[in-house]
Amino acid sequence: MFIINCPYCGERDQSEFSNGGEAHVARPKDPEQINDREWSEYVFVRANPKGIYYERWVHTHGCKKWFNAVRNTSTDKILKVYKLGEAPPSIKEFKNTLKSPSGEPEVGSGNFTVKKT
Amino acid sequence: MSDNKIYFKFDGKRYGGNEGDTIASALLRNNIKFVGRSFKYHRPRGIYTCGIEEPNALVQIINEHNEPNVRATVKKIYEGMVVKSQNRWPSLKRDFGSINNLLSPIFSAGFYYKTFMGPKGFWKKVYEPLIRRTAGLGKPPKEFRSKSIHIHHNVDVLIVGGGLSGLLAAKKLAGTDHDVLLIDRDDCLGGILKNTKKIKSIDNQRTNTWVEKTEWLIKNSKNIKILKNTTVTTYNFDNHLVAFEDKSVGKPPDNIKPELVLHKIRTKHTILANGHIERFISFRNNDLPGVMLAASFEKYIHKYGVVPDQNPIIFTNNSSTFSLLKSLVDLGHKPRAYVDVRDQKKIEKETLELLTKYNIPLYAKSEIEGCDGKNGVQKVSIRIKKNEIIKIKTSMLCVSGGFNPDIHLFTQSKGLIKWDDSLLTFKPDKSYQNTITLGSVSGNFSYEKLIGEINKKLSFLQGVNHLESTLDINGPKKFQIKELWETKHEKKSFWSKSFIDLQNDVTTKDLKQAILEGFNRIEHLKRFTTNSMGTDQGKISSINALGIVSKILKKNVSEVGTTIYRPPYTPVSFSAIAGRSTYEFYDPERKTPLHTWHVNNNAVFEDVGQWKRPWYFKKHTNETMHEAVQRESKQLRETAGILDGSTLGKIEIKGRDALTFINLMYTNSFTKLKPMSARYALMLGEDGMVKDDGIVCKINDQHFIATTTTGGAANVLAHMEEYAQTEWPDMNVYMNSITEQFATFNISGPKSRVIMSRVFNDIDFSNDKFPFMTFQNFNYLDTQIRILRASFTGELGYEIYIPPKYALRLWQRIFFYSRDLDLVPYGTETMHLLRAEKGYIIVGQDTDGTVTPLDLNLNWMIGKKKKDFIGKRSLTRSDIVRENRKQLVGLIPLDKTYGIEEGQHVIEKENLSTPIKKPVEMLGHVTSSYFSPTLKHSVAMALIRGGKRKIGSQLYVSTSDLNTIPVEVVETSFIDPKNERMLL
Amino acid sequence: MTIIASGKGIEISQTELQQILLRGKGDGSFAETINKEISLLPPSDNLRMISNDKFLFAKQSFDQWSLFCLVEESNEEILRLISSMNANEEILASDYSHTSCFEITGENKNYYLSKLTHFDLRPKKFPVSTMAQTLIARIDCSIYHLEDKYLVTCHSSFEDYFKDRLQDAINL
Repeated sequence: MFIINCPYCGERDQSEFSNGGEAHVARPKDPEQINDREWSEYVFVRANPKGIYYERWVHTHGCKKWFNAVRNTSTDKILKVYKLGEAPPSIKEFKNTLKSPSGEPEVGSGNFTVKKT
Repeated sequence: MSDNKIYFKFDGKRYGGNEGDTIASALLRNNIKFVGRSFKYHRPRGIYTCGIEEPNALVQIINEHNEPNVRATVKKIYEGMVVKSQNRWPSLKRDFGSINNLLSPIFSAGFYYKTFMGPKGFWKKVYEPLIRRTAGLGKPPKEFRSKSIHIHHNVDVLIVGGGLSGLLAAKKLAGTDHDVLLIDRDDCLGGILKNTKKIKSIDNQRTNTWVEKTEWLIKNSKNIKILKNTTVTTYNFDNHLVAFEDKSVGKPPDNIKPELVLHKIRTKHTILANGHIERFISFRNNDLPGVMLAASFEKYIHKYGVVPDQNPIIFTNNSSTFSLLKSLVDLGHKPRAYVDVRDQKKIEKETLELLTKYNIPLYAKSEIEGCDGKNGVQKVSIRIKKNEIIKIKTSMLCVSGGFNPDIHLFTQSKGLIKWDDSLLTFKPDKSYQNTITLGSVSGNFSYEKLIGEINKKLSFLQGVNHLESTLDINGPKKFQIKELWETKHEKKSFWSKSFIDLQNDVTTKDLKQAILEGFNRIEHLKRFTTNSMGTDQGKISSINALGIVSKILKKNVSEVGTTIYRPPYTPVSFSAIAGRSTYEFYDPERKTPLHTWHVNNNAVFEDVGQWKRPWYFKKHTNETMHEAVQRESKQLRETAGILDGSTLGKIEIKGRDALTFINLMYTNSFTKLKPMSARYALMLGEDGMVKDDGIVCKINDQHFIATTTTGGAANVLAHMEEYAQTEWPDMNVYMNSITEQFATFNISGPKSRVIMSRVFNDIDFSNDKFPFMTFQNFNYLDTQIRILRASFTGELGYEIYIPPKYALRLWQRIFFYSRDLDLVPYGTETMHLLRAEKGYIIVGQDTDGTVTPLDLNLNWMIGKKKKDFIGKRSLTRSDIVRENRKQLVGLIPLDKTYGIEEGQHVIEKENLSTPIKKPVEMLGHVTSSYFSPTLKHSVAMALIRGGKRKIGSQLYVSTSDLNTIPVEVVETSFIDPKNERMLL
Repeated sequence: MTIIASGKGIEISQTELQQILLRGKGDGSFAETINKEISLLPPSDNLRMISNDKFLFAKQSFDQWSLFCLVEESNEEILRLISSMNANEEILASDYSHTSCFEITGENKNYYLSKLTHFDLRPKKFPVSTMAQTLIARIDCSIYHLEDKYLVTCHSSFEDYFKDRLQDAINL
């Protein structure tokens, strides 16, 4: 149960929100002009990275507004929240949270409990 | 009784205890040490600890709905409590299952995985009943236990643990601006100050006085709230913690007041001051009743005033047992022997002085080889030299194998731990959240350094007080320990076992065997042996297991690592998790403005989403649902019927770009639709599948009102908001849910025009003035109503939208004006039947998220000239235009006396061979089926593969009694296919 | 106003308030249209409330406001107001008068509500003259912090369930 900082209502409990999947996947301007494969990719295919993920959230049980968030999927930490229409923050801003090749941070994922010596 | 005793029953016998006693302390008071039998081998077990970490003394509380697996060391007694020991049959002393102990070679590690592989059929007939009979803990309770509630806390600082460190931390925060919650799992604050003799005095006050004074100070500081009898079980992300409070401590359940409270805490900072847990040492028969952890033994003395045994043997590998020794000798009791693994030179001088003074035999550099006795310790074997063992008679043995900081919550918080070579245990290293550990949980086992530690670690909090206290410490100041996880066995018999997990009956031999078999990763080893998988989660033994494993693997313990600690810290009752969401509050209920009328008119209700909708109305008590629905349906087609349609979702849509928006949201085109007209509309997902349907009313190009299905209302609004906000933010369009702002009545049937004309005598309902699929607003009393001419039954029909306040009055007025016209109130089942006769779909019944408008023959609803709408592009995908997709068709039984069942499969062949040898090819399934009172036979709709091309052919539908019935595939419209009746 | 539960430093009553739910850009034209009708400018800060003798006006999010009539108006007047506001094609005004309203007063109101919601009601997080939309007793609600009381509104279909939960919680 994490806290999500709704850009309009402030910090609220996760139970008030719904996740809307990957952010910045724009609906094709002219769907008729693209082939089946390209259309299917828009409708069905989303990235599922371990690590930094740009995703959409909606404050379902609050103001009902959509917004974007950057979350580290291996720790569930929400690193940044920004409004729709705002430019997505550069991934470089969050670089330091990825320490191992698999994208597993040293602390926070819970997959490692013991400090490596 | 006038002796101030509290009487309870244990296994049928009556015992007296003192107020405040746990079941365990009361039993010890009565000299009962043998309290249960073990999980797998049915070995006799006693009371091992004095708190939440108890692995053995689990009991069943009979008078609390059979609550099983209650820790006797935690649960307080009350007058009339009925307690039973667990896992024994027929009685504790004569247990049938203890034969398992003799069969133990087959119950070794991985036993379940290896043994129950075959032969085929054995699992069901032999293994499962046997396991269910003999394995396991208590029996499941028969009823829901009790009332419980959830309470939410939003605080700045949460202090877990009201022991010495927790109290000092609270004192530091007292009177500041921080909102603080202090939680302790015991019924009193103080921790080690109450349970041990480790601290002589604080600020020259007796420890009890200091605790009282400090508690008083905290209580009066107004910014700190204290919760007792509350265990923090869960540490989630963003400092969200869950704690479990037992309000019924020492009281019988009353079922009125909530007995269990689940506290959900959101805090900025968490201070973990939850202390440490003593661990045991494995030796031969270390599970016998009479073996107890040393600090627990001491807690019984100080907290409960019970001396479990006046002359126990003390076995230790560390300096902490000084305190127990001191407690005993101060009371004039003399331990039979003091066995220390360490060399005499290493033993603290304070301990040695006491032993000499009271003439207690010391066995240094010695260890307990094992103990023997029937149903309890009678003799203890001490290895005093490599090859020399002496035996001493005793009935109790106190063991201390060192201490583990209680890092469970810290690791749940995703903090990192590290191995400490001098303490021989894991301790917190790096916090992940705003978590501060204080005192022994942080690995600080030195009371001298405590004040400094707290001042330093909490100095970052604004405005905190500076602590200045002096602790006068009894005995050794520095904690010293020598590594020892297991002692060497001498005897070899089936009876001789050295346990590593008492609750799950895992022996140290099982660990060795598992490693030999290749399970050398700690997480695998845990699952294979079931080590530390009991309700106690191996609190007193899991680090010992790591110690033993690391020795076998010749690795450091930190390389072996720990398994992941997961919530809950201690078991949480399901009824606490459920909170108030049970019985009448199970799920929020929604009611229409006419609900009371429906109740008074014998409606039987159906749950549609959270709504309570009349399913059908019983005309008389003996009328069955089938009879009622047949009557309502027939009546409506003959005269008229009225349905409460208030549950339908209603969305008001407005804005400069409303028309463009609506055209994108629905498949139909609304551009050419005249103002004050309506259209049946389909909404798709971007995947081209039908999402919802409803009627969209156009007031003008900037203003629309859309209705949705009852269950789809919230989703449709959310879907619209999503596109408006995320895809087309520049579009000027807004929408409000107005579902509850209007009650809706659907009147339909050949007489509906007459009824409407009578009720609203100034409105012209003629076809010319009020054509099909148009709507008009009218003033009614001091409000406005909207009447829409539409039909879902296939008959002439009208929908009235009226503010709820006026709904009942109008509803009754309609009945009044149609008293000679046989107007019948009908429910959802009749509505479903009537629409099925017309071949109208119900989204969610005839569709399931894999059905396109093309599959439903609703091509006519697609605005072909529209450039775009949600889902349009998907309708030309190769998979969507495939000819053999499942398509909606009608079915009629060839023999009209047969009924078709909903959900049954449609197949090509008549005969199902029995037993079925080959899978039967299934074409699809029946989505809707009703007995039509008008046609006098069953009509059904089905989604079947290539359905459109199969119209006119014969297929079969399976039945629930394993037969098939022949059916004809037809178009979906069974009654009035030309729609003449609704245009009447 | 009907008292539906009281005791232990809590009083809960049900009240009827005429309400209009407003959607719009919140720009000058929006403010002008509203101001012309009720002589009150809509609050511009999110989650803030303003009021005069006749109206309580709250901003729920950047394009949504709720307007309560503190003095009962005639039904015709409400419908007229709505229709005048809707005359601006960039505004959606819906009659929300059929919404269930409850007032919660008393010194223990925060502790009482903590049995029903996770929402942080501490004055430092939820000061007077602010509002929030959140879950109370698992139902979508709006909560308005007035001087010494909370005004809680929810959709009327939930009213019975909500009332039962409010009454239940007082006894726990």
